[in-house]
Parts: sequence; structure tokens; C-alpha cells
Amino acid sequence: MEISDTPPLSKAPRSIPGKIYDVLSGFGLATITMLLLGLLTWFATLEQIDNGLYPTLTKYFDWKSFFLLPEINGKMVPLPLPGGYWVCAVLLLNLILGGIVRIRKGWRHYGNLIAHFGIILMLAGGGVAHHFSERGNMAVGEGESSNAAEDYFEYVVEATEIKDGKAGKIHVIRGKDIDDLQDAKLRTFRLPELPFDLQLTGYLKNAVPVSANERAPDRQQLITDGYFLMEKPKLAKAEEAERFTAGCYARILHRDGTKSEPFILAGASFRPFSYRYQDRVFTVDMRKRLWVMPFTLKLDKFTAAFHPGTMRPAKFVSEVTRIENGGEAKVTIQMNEPMRYEGLTFFQASYGPPGAGPGERMYSVFEIVRNPADKWPEYSLWIVAFGMAVTFLIKLGSFLATGSRKKRHV
Amino acid sequence: MSNSSSKAGRWIAAVLALLVLAAIFTNLVIDNMPKGEVRQVEGYTPWSEETLRIAEMLPVQNGGRIKPLSTFAGFTMLGLHGARSMEVEGSGGKVVRIKPTAWLMDSLFRPQLAIKLPTFRIDNSAVLEAIGVKPRGKRDRYSYADIEPGREKLVELAKTYEAIEKDKRDPVQAQTIDLAYNLRNYESLIGYFGFARFGVTLHGSGKKDVPDQHADISAVMATAPQIRQQIAQTQAQGQPMDSHLQSLMQQVFDAANFAKYGLFILPPADPKDPIWLSAGNAIMVPITETKIDPQLAIADIKVLESTARAVSDEGAFNKELVTLRDRLAKRAEARGEYRHVPLEASYYQKNWFLYALVFFVFGTITALAMCTAGQGKAALILYWTTLATTAAGLVYCIIPIVKRCIIMQRPPVGNLYDTIIFIAATSVLIALIMEWMTRRRFALGVAPILGTLLIILARRFELGDANDNMDPLVAVLNSNYWLTIHVLTITLGYSAGLLSAFMSFIYLLMRGLGLDDGDKDIRRSLTRAVYGMICLTLFLSLIGTVLGGVWANDSWGRFWGWDPKENGALLIVLWTLSILHARLGGYIKEWGMHFAAVFTGAVVTFSWWHVNFLGVGLHNYGFTAGKGTIWQFYIVILAILVFGVIARAIEGSGKARAAA
Repeated sequence: MEISDTPPLSKAPRSIPGKIYDVLSGFGLATITMLLLGLLTWFATLEQIDNGLYPTLTKYFDWKSFFLLPEINGKMVPLPLPGGYWVCAVLLLNLILGGIVRIRKGWRHYGNLIAHFGIILMLAGGGVAHHFSERGNMAVGEGESSNAAEDYFEYVVEATEIKDGKAGKIHVIRGKDIDDLQDAKLRTFRLPELPFDLQLTGYLKNAVPVSANERAPDRQQLITDGYFLMEKPKLAKAEEAERFTAGCYARILHRDGTKSEPFILAGASFRPFSYRYQDRVFTVDMRKRLWVMPFTLKLDKFTAAFHPGTMRPAKFVSEVTRIENGGEAKVTIQMNEPMRYEGLTFFQASYGPPGAGPGERMYSVFEIVRNPADKWPEYSLWIVAFGMAVTFLIKLGSFLATGSRKKRHV
Repeated sequence: MSNSSSKAGRWIAAVLALLVLAAIFTNLVIDNMPKGEVRQVEGYTPWSEETLRIAEMLPVQNGGRIKPLSTFAGFTMLGLHGARSMEVEGSGGKVVRIKPTAWLMDSLFRPQLAIKLPTFRIDNSAVLEAIGVKPRGKRDRYSYADIEPGREKLVELAKTYEAIEKDKRDPVQAQTIDLAYNLRNYESLIGYFGFARFGVTLHGSGKKDVPDQHADISAVMATAPQIRQQIAQTQAQGQPMDSHLQSLMQQVFDAANFAKYGLFILPPADPKDPIWLSAGNAIMVPITETKIDPQLAIADIKVLESTARAVSDEGAFNKELVTLRDRLAKRAEARGEYRHVPLEASYYQKNWFLYALVFFVFGTITALAMCTAGQGKAALILYWTTLATTAAGLVYCIIPIVKRCIIMQRPPVGNLYDTIIFIAATSVLIALIMEWMTRRRFALGVAPILGTLLIILARRFELGDANDNMDPLVAVLNSNYWLTIHVLTITLGYSAGLLSAFMSFIYLLMRGLGLDDGDKDIRRSLTRAVYGMICLTLFLSLIGTVLGGVWANDSWGRFWGWDPKENGALLIVLWTLSILHARLGGYIKEWGMHFAAVFTGAVVTFSWWHVNFLGVGLHNYGFTAGKGTIWQFYIVILAILVFGVIARAIEGSGKARAAA
């Protein structure tokens, strides 16, 4: 007879909250949510062939997706499925209620308890990484140093005063504060250290300024200084989102209540918007966010090696010096061996210039990730492995001790 | 279950078993038979065994590593011919079987015979029709001499088709491009020793009515400083180059070009230089004044010339070939690159997996006999015979896997071919351990069948893929630590999943056909064993998947990227978790457990194989060999499930009638 991990239900009539609790913590819900998640994963795997990874993930696993209809080979499958985000949420609830709270407690069941706890930690790690991690990249040439990373996706608006040809303090408006300003929605940003405020509107995730003389606006967009913002087509692949260039309309609001003509801020522009006011010069720009590292990284040498006589990469190695507070440390960053330091992880991501000849000066591109849950999956792995090993070894022991081996046929 | 229905079930099982055996036997024979009709090649004589033994140990740089000539020959022949052997009718009407090293030796040293060999596999005769060559049938093999008249048209068509996007090319266009590349690669082999056979003609060297003289390329190379000096002088004087010198240089460049790509056989003297030279590269060394020692290049070319010219005299040829092999091997050894060449040559000579297959097939026959033999002495003998042959098959899988690890200097699994042989070995091993734990014969019965099917799959895959499966890995996979702990764990999960599916298939077959005589004890025992295998599958797949995430986090900076391979692994985890939770909740009992376990086979197949064909993701291998096999496997699984459902319905209605 199989050993059940959940205590049997009491024969006494259950209250409605009790019944809800039973359902939420039951094996039935666990089985259904895991099957649904499996089905969603399977459909998402097939659908990304035609539709690309990025839109498929949004369709299947975004919190805004409550129900969806899968597609295979471009044809809709008439099977409504719940959104993956909410299936995961229900599964997590079931895991906590059934796998931690309701599960039988005793030495034979501690393995399962530990494994469930490990999985919760893993899912929590995924959530923390999703909501709180930051990603960027840093390109450094051989012999050069850098202490700033550029975000892959986040566009910000920067305003600063130019004095003696140099930029003063940079005032940054973060992407999360402007990416909802679509269509006519506008927001004013107070800049107390500057003699004006900024009003932003008409934000587009991927757009370019286009001359109205060359092309007429297709959606009655605002034309300013002969240009309007044209939305670029949505891209399918996740990595293509890195090449998005955001844009919006802006207006300067003076303290005296007057305001400038609207102007375009665009990630695709080569130069910032320049503005003269009260004999002072200011610039306003839209660009990918830069974040400053707590240390400087100098690329001493980069090596790209290929298996002899082929274009099959063998190794990419960056030998760097980490400079901090006057101290220096030599570090090697290569594929599968990132540098982890002060909550940041540096990965070997790319290099250039493409097709560089011998002796040519190379540059190396590092992907930089700040993920508070960086090591959580690894910790949870050991917890889950231990828990499952305990459970299955107990079961194996019981199988060998009481199983049918005694009644062997040979 | 009544005796009559049990007897009928046994007959059905016996017929099924015979069909399976016949299919396996046919497959074995077809795989090992030379393909195409026996072509007559006038004057063809086989190479002696001694010559071939010397030749196969020549080191060659190819695919990013140093390998024996026999390996290079094997995969080149597989790529062009689609098989590792061919048969021709040679001198005196004698049928000769030509294997890879002999085929390559023909191509290099006897091109006049080689061009008549049916080297090229053409799967669609429309390709030949398009280039104006008369085809023999829809699918056949052709010699270079057959195709050569349409060569120009072929190149022209291939260039046109290459302009079409890869995904949009139709099969004929794709095969035309492939044939053009294959022809070019083959020409680089048959023209390789042209420099040695013809040398250069010194135009105007002969006196009146006397033919022009010939010289060796190596001799011209030795005079390179003087040639350069003369060219420099004429250039300084602003005069055109002497026509004799111009002709000489043109011949040298042509010879170098023909010998530039076929075979990278000359290890450089500088240990820091990783790239070996072809004969064509060596010819150009003294002429272009590179950093490479010109005297070494001249000496190398001299040895190659003597070898190629001695081909008509077997004794002399073997002597020259030994000199060449020893010279190259010594230099490769000094660079630390010859260590595994003899081991690899012997690996392919021994044909380990073919013997493993023979043992597994024999084990399958005795296992099927064992299942029908009951409990007597004969059954005991069959039990031990099955165990011995299966164990022998396992040993014949483990030895080559270990040898491959030594040759590749990495853990056993790094590509799809590796996974098949590893899963074959480990699933058999797990089945034998299961047998040791249960002693119920069902695990032993499954082991040789699974071994047989997987080794056939490995052979089929190697044929279809035709790529050297021991070539080095790309940078991101190049981590012995992660290859050991992640890849092996996940692959072991596949083994356990497939084994559980096969054991449940046995259960459905036994119960459905009444082979177990209604013995509940056997059923329970098999169910417990399958339950254990599902637990093992979950354990290995979950740990393997998370380890993969941790590896991805170290390589690409993200734990999970919804890559199809990652999703496939997650599907196994979710499916096995669902089975265990459904069982704990009482939603599935014995039948349900086995239906679910059989379906695990489909989930594992999707994760292991199918995702590789989707053409997206970071784990996409970009091949097409074996795609049809997946669908056949899915259909078999579906058929088993349908059979199980019918069997359950029949059993249910029987019980209902009995109760009434």
C-alpha cells in the first residue's frame, strides 16, 4: 500500500473555508496545475517557432494574460488555457498549503517537506530575479578602463546644464516613470535644481523620428520641427528587444508658467536636444540608462581562440584588472567562469571587432547582472536534492525490505 | 483470465515478437550491406591489408582536432556515399568490398580508378536531370565520371539556388547545392597528389625535336630564392616577367591550389602554431617567405612525391607510406598530438557497437523465449543466457564509451550521438540493477530489447548525420565539470524515463494479452518497479534541469530562458510530478500509472530528440537526420496506449459480466 503524504480528511462535515482549504492544498489541484503548466510549456515551445520567443512569453506567462488560445503552425487551437503566471501562482499557493502546512509531519515525510521548501525557495528566487534584477553590458577595449554599464532595455531621460563645454549634474528620469505615458497621457517631472520642469507624453517603446516631408504621419502623430515619431514594427526575438529605440514628446515648463514648443526625444537620435534659457545652455536626452559600478574594470588582454582550422569557438578569455579604492586585483573572465563581486556578476558575452586580424586591438563585451537571488537556485537545488534523496531512499529501502524480491521468480 | 484467452495472448505475443525480430534482423542486414548495384570498375585491384593498416594511422587535422586518416575517411565516405562500404567488380570479375580507408586511398593515389567508383549518393534523380545527366533510377549512387559531364551546369544551378533563403529552398534545390559542394570536396581529394604525379613542365627546356623536361615541385621549391630574386630584378627593371618563368609559376600555383584543401596532414614545426598544413600550403611556404621553415616544407613535399609515385609497386609504396607515417607521427608526437590517434584507429577497427548489437539481438531472442518458457529448467537456462548476453552487450557499450572519453578528453556526453549510446548503456545497466532488486525477469526481458533499439538508433543517426561525433565542443559547452554533473544527470533521467515506459509497455502487454495468468503479485511488483523508475526519472530530471539552470546562469547570466531544450526537461519534471501526485491523491491506480508511464516515453522523446528539430533556441543542433523516427515512435506509443485502453475495457466488461 502506498504511503500518503497528506493526512486523511476528517469524516466530520467541513465548513466552506475548510473545503476551500482542502481544495487549495490538495493533490488534485497540484496535479491539475502541473499538467496545465506542462501543457502551457509545450504549446509555448511550439509556438515560439512561428511567433518568436518574446511575444510567446508575453502571451503565455505575462501577469496580464489570464486566458489564451494556443497556436500551432500558425493555426489557432480551440483549447482555452489559463495564463501561465496565474497557474504558477496557484501552484505556489498549493505548494505552501499542501506541501508545507498540510503535509504529514514525521521522519518518513521530512524529505518531502524539505524538497517542497527547496522548490518554494527556487520559485521565490525566480520571482526576486524577475522583479529586482538588473542587466546591462560594458564594452571595454584592450588597455582601456570603464566603470559604467549600459542597461539592455531601460531608456531614461537625462537633463543637464552645459558649463564651459562640460556637462553638469545629470538629472535622470527613470524608464518606469515614463513607459506608461502612451498616446495623450502626460506627466510633469519637477527638476528643482534646474530653472524649468519637463513634461513628457506620447511614449513609444520602439520608435524613430521621421521627417514629415519624407513621409506623412500614419496615425495623426504630432509634427514638431518638421518631424514626428513613427512606431517601428514589434520584433519577435527576445534579443531584438535590446535593439529597441524608445521615443517620446517633451515640453519644457518654465517657472514663470510659460512653456517651450514640444520637441522629440528619441533613443535613435544621435544628439541630445539642446535648449538655451536665461543665457544658460541645457541638454535633454533620451538614452539607455547607465549605471555606475562600485569599481573600475581595465581590460588587460582579450583572447579569442578557435579550434584549429575551423571557425568553431574554443574559448574567449578576458584578463582584467579590478581597480577599487587604489587597490588592484587581477581576474580572468571567460565562458562558464564569470566574475562575481559586490553583488554584481560579469559574464563574457561578446567581443570585437568582427574578423579582427592578428595584432589588432580587441575589445570585450561583458554582460553585467545584479541579481539579489543569483545563488538561490543553487541553494534550492541542494535542498531539493537532499529532500528527494531522503524520500526516495526511504521508499527504496522499504521496497527492498518488504517488496516482492522475497518472492523472486529466479 | 481463462486458459484459452491466455493461450491466444501468448500466440499474439509470439507473432509480435517475431515481427519485432524480423524488423531488427532486416535493419541489421540492410545497414551492413553495401548500397547500390555492384559497379564494374575495370582494372580495380584492392589495397593490401598491410597498406591499409599503415595508411589508417596517418594523422590528419580535421574538424578542429587531430584524428587518424581512417576516421577522416569514414566520415567523408559517409557524407558522400551514405554508407561505410561499397562493392565493385574489379579485375577478373572479382567482387571487392571497399571500406573507407581504401576508398580514400583510391581517391588520393589512384584517381583514375576512383572516379569510376559509385561514390555519390543521389536521393532525387531530378537533381541529375536538371544538370543533363541521365539518371538510372529515382535514388541511386553515381561515380564522378557519371556526373562530370554536368559539372558546369551543376555549379551554375547551385550558385542560383544559393541566392534563395535556406528555409525557402525546395528539396531538389537543397540537394543540388549539396551535390555541388560534395563534388568540389571530392575534387580536392582526387586532385590532391596531382603535384606529385605530374610535377611541372619546363617549357622550352627540351632542344629541337626533344620533348620538354619535367621537374619535381620540391625541386622548384628549392630554387625559390633564385626565382624570387629573378622576379624582383625584372620588376626593378620594369620589364615583364620571362614567359618561361611565368609558365613555371602558374604551374606551381595550380599544383598548390589543387592540394590546398583536401588533407591537412603536415604538422608545423613550431609547437605554438596550432594549424597543420596541407601539401598546397607547404608548396607555397618557400615561395611566399612565411615564418615557416622552407627546408622542412621542401622535405615534406619530397616525401609526399615519393609516396605518390610509388603507388604502382605495392612493396615500394608501403615502404614510402611507412616513411611518411613515421615522419608525420613523430612530429605530431613531439607536439603532443599523436597520443590518441592509434587508440581512435583501433576504436573504429573494432566496431564495438556492432558487436554490442549482436549481443543484444541474441539477448532479445533468448529473453522472448524466456518469457514463454514458464518456470522450468529451460527457463532458468534462458534466464542466465539472457543475462550473460545482455551483460556482454553492456560491456561492449561501456568499453567504447570509455575509449571515446579518453580520445575526446571529456565526459561521455557532449552531442546527440553521445546521448544515444550513453542512454543505451545506462538504461541496460539500470534494468540489470532493477532485475537484481526484483528478480522477476521483466527488467531483464526489457534490457536487451531496449539495448537493441537504441544501438540501431545510434547507427541510423550516425549514417544520417555523417559528421564526426568526436569533434571538439564549442566554447560554451567546453566545461568538463558541467558536462559531468548536468549533462550526465539529465541524460540518466532520459534513460530512467524510457526504461519506465518500456516496463509499463510490458505490463500492458502482459495484462492485455493475459500473459501473466492474472498473477496479481507480478502485476504489483511491476507497478512498484515502474513507480520506482518514475521517482528516479523525477529525481534525475529535476536535479539535472536545475543544474542546467545554474550552468546557464554561469554562462549566459540567466537561470531560465525558455529555450526548447530547457522546456523539454521541465516537461519531464512536470509530467513525472503529476504522475506521483495523481497517484498519491488516488486519481490513478495500476492501469493509470502504466498509461502515464508509457506516455513518459513520448515526453522524454520530445525533450531528448524532438526539440532539436524545432530550429530555435541555443541547444538547436541544426540537423534533420532521424526526424521521421520520432513520429514513428510517437505512433508506436499511441498504439500501445490504444491497445491498453481496449484491454482495460475488455477486462472491465469481463469483470462486470462475472459480477452479474
